[in-house]
Amino acid sequence: MGSDDGYNFVFKVVLIGESGVGKSNLLSRFTKNEFSHDSRTTIGVEFSTRTVQLSGFTIKAQIWDTAGLERYRAITSAYYRGAVGALLVYDITKHLTYESVERWLKELYEHADPHIVVMLVGNKTDLESERSVPTDEAKEFAANKGLFFLETSALDSTNVEAAFNIVLAEIHRKVSSKEVIRGSIGAVSLNSSRAESTEENKPCCRNI
Amino acid sequence: MAKIGNGRQSVDTRSIRTINSSHIDDESSLGSDSEINGFTSDRRTDKYGFIGGAQQLGATDVPPEVLRHREVKWLDMLNHWDKWMIKRFDKVRLRCQKGIPPALRGRAWLYLSGGKVKKEQNQGKFQELDSQSGDPKWLDVIEKDLHRQFPFHEMFVSRGGHGQQDLFRVLKAYTLYRPEEGYCQAQAPIAAVLLMHMPAEDAFWGLVQICEKYLPGYYSPGLEAIQLDGEILFALLRRVSPLAFRHLEKHKIDPILYMTEWFMCAFSRTLPWSSVLRVWDMFLCDGVKIIFRVGLVLLKCMLGTREKLKACQGQYETMELLRAIEPRYMQEGFLVREVRILEVPVTSRDVEKEHHTQLKRWRKTRGELNLKPPPRMHGARLVLLADPPRRQDLKQNPTIVLEVPQPTSQLKKGKEEKQSMKKKSKKKSQPIMEVPNPYPLPNEHSPPPSDPPAMPPVTSKTPETVPQTVPQTETLSPHQHCAPPTDLAPAKDSPHQQSTQSLSSTELDTYL
Repeated sequence: MGSDDGYNFVFKVVLIGESGVGKSNLLSRFTKNEFSHDSRTTIGVEFSTRTVQLSGFTIKAQIWDTAGLERYRAITSAYYRGAVGALLVYDITKHLTYESVERWLKELYEHADPHIVVMLVGNKTDLESERSVPTDEAKEFAANKGLFFLETSALDSTNVEAAFNIVLAEIHRKVSSKEVIRGSIGAVSLNSSRAESTEENKPCCRNI
Repeated sequence: MAKIGNGRQSVDTRSIRTINSSHIDDESSLGSDSEINGFTSDRRTDKYGFIGGAQQLGATDVPPEVLRHREVKWLDMLNHWDKWMIKRFDKVRLRCQKGIPPALRGRAWLYLSGGKVKKEQNQGKFQELDSQSGDPKWLDVIEKDLHRQFPFHEMFVSRGGHGQQDLFRVLKAYTLYRPEEGYCQAQAPIAAVLLMHMPAEDAFWGLVQICEKYLPGYYSPGLEAIQLDGEILFALLRRVSPLAFRHLEKHKIDPILYMTEWFMCAFSRTLPWSSVLRVWDMFLCDGVKIIFRVGLVLLKCMLGTREKLKACQGQYETMELLRAIEPRYMQEGFLVREVRILEVPVTSRDVEKEHHTQLKRWRKTRGELNLKPPPRMHGARLVLLADPPRRQDLKQNPTIVLEVPQPTSQLKKGKEEKQSMKKKSKKKSQPIMEVPNPYPLPNEHSPPPSDPPAMPPVTSKTPETVPQTVPQTETLSPHQHCAPPTDLAPAKDSPHQQSTQSLSSTELDTYL
């Protein structure tokens, strides 16, 4: 599996949210710089990676994407396993997708690591004229829940990099600062000579 | 007339910008759906309807003579469906394994799945459902999905086009037919594949059969059936490829992580198109065990040797590997062969046995199933036996009937319609007419230039050779072929023209 770019960490980040809010395009925009109006409905699990540099460390971001439809929630526990970050996405033009954010949060905390880093993402800012979720309202909600918040557009790339980078940076901060008990964040540390020497090796899918 | 917003623009395969087609009306003279979105003629559509041509790779080319030969047999089977299914199902199966001739695939699928019988026994039902407005909650989700199924297929490429409209109608009808089930996103690709081969009403009943007989519970709330099948697949893998099994177990790779899309979409989103069609031919004949077998073959091919496993050290790498199956393993010829002669055979009984085992395990670890789906039908014959058809349910209803003035009163008169693959017509026991063939095969005489294809002349001065497809007795497809005149012998005199022979004829074609 030797890739020429060694990396220090692998962070698994999941995209969650209602069907049609733009999860798959956020994924493709971030990992491949691609966007499609007609990307296929996600059925099952999709994923892609991108390696980023953060504070001198090389971080491989493993972004996972799955179907948003309600009934697919039944099969997501395998999906959440080992995730250290999550982007909870809604569509700023569809208020209903914002209303289900609470339910998604609940599900997230039921299945994922309690220390998981979460960002609330209001996608489709390119459709400003059709907005139905006020920025401030969502911002306040996020603050109340201890979530990061950004509005993005996978279509024109606005804030997509920022959204992922903020989440990854925060994960990295948590892992490095030993704020969390070692091992409760399932991050893989490879090439430990470059990372902190006391970092453990863990497969990133290990159940916490 | 309708306007095209951005006119023709070059499109790349990645981002096809759809233009506002909402104001393009049905009467638009702009041409086929694929032209509306700015596809220029340099975007070629392959024989399956896909734009870009990537689907052509790996397809087996069957010579036209063999295709004609098979069509004759299929026409005969369809004409005596119940007899063939009850008495000679082994032959039906063999012919499904060889691949249903494209011209008859839609019809064959409808018959195999039992959709035809369902349709006849529920006349008017689809129209009734079609006319209702439907639950807005489902309609909302369905609408979001319409442009996300096979977006590179010309049938579905244009927003609001006929393909997407029909997809909407079929999916909506299902939510009304089974309100407790509602809509599950994986039903869309299933319906789309069916729609590529048959009209909306037929596709609807095909979908019903797949959802209720072949894959019951797959699309139901809770998705328990698919999870159970994931466990079954994994358990069966142990026998088929212990190496692959151990690897997946070691890295705790839940079957749900790789088999969900495979199974829920019956591989329509995974395999090259020619392979999808072959798999569906076998699947509709023999049931879910085919889906299991394909899954097992792919897993074995990709993870079955130490060499291959060296390349995937972890969960992620393994999943990446399973997502990028090597084309040679998905190629039609290879895949069909492997599925037919899987080294470790996997029968319907094996599936049921393992189902039983996994169900017990489930009950222990997760309690009772929330939804108990109806029992699974393992193939077309069982579907038929479970719902035995009346004679009239199997009768084929010609939708294109050629109007040819004849002195005899035996000919039925009918409407003439535009030729369409989906609407093939048949007549029973008609007197043999001499109609020149407007589409002769090479080596045959071409018809007199004045003949427009749609209107063959009453009398034929020059008896033309015809493709040897139509048996002399029972069936006739007036709009395409004609029965060979009995006194004609320019072309090969093949035994397979006789329909009575097909029951006992040796299989002359060995094309797999």
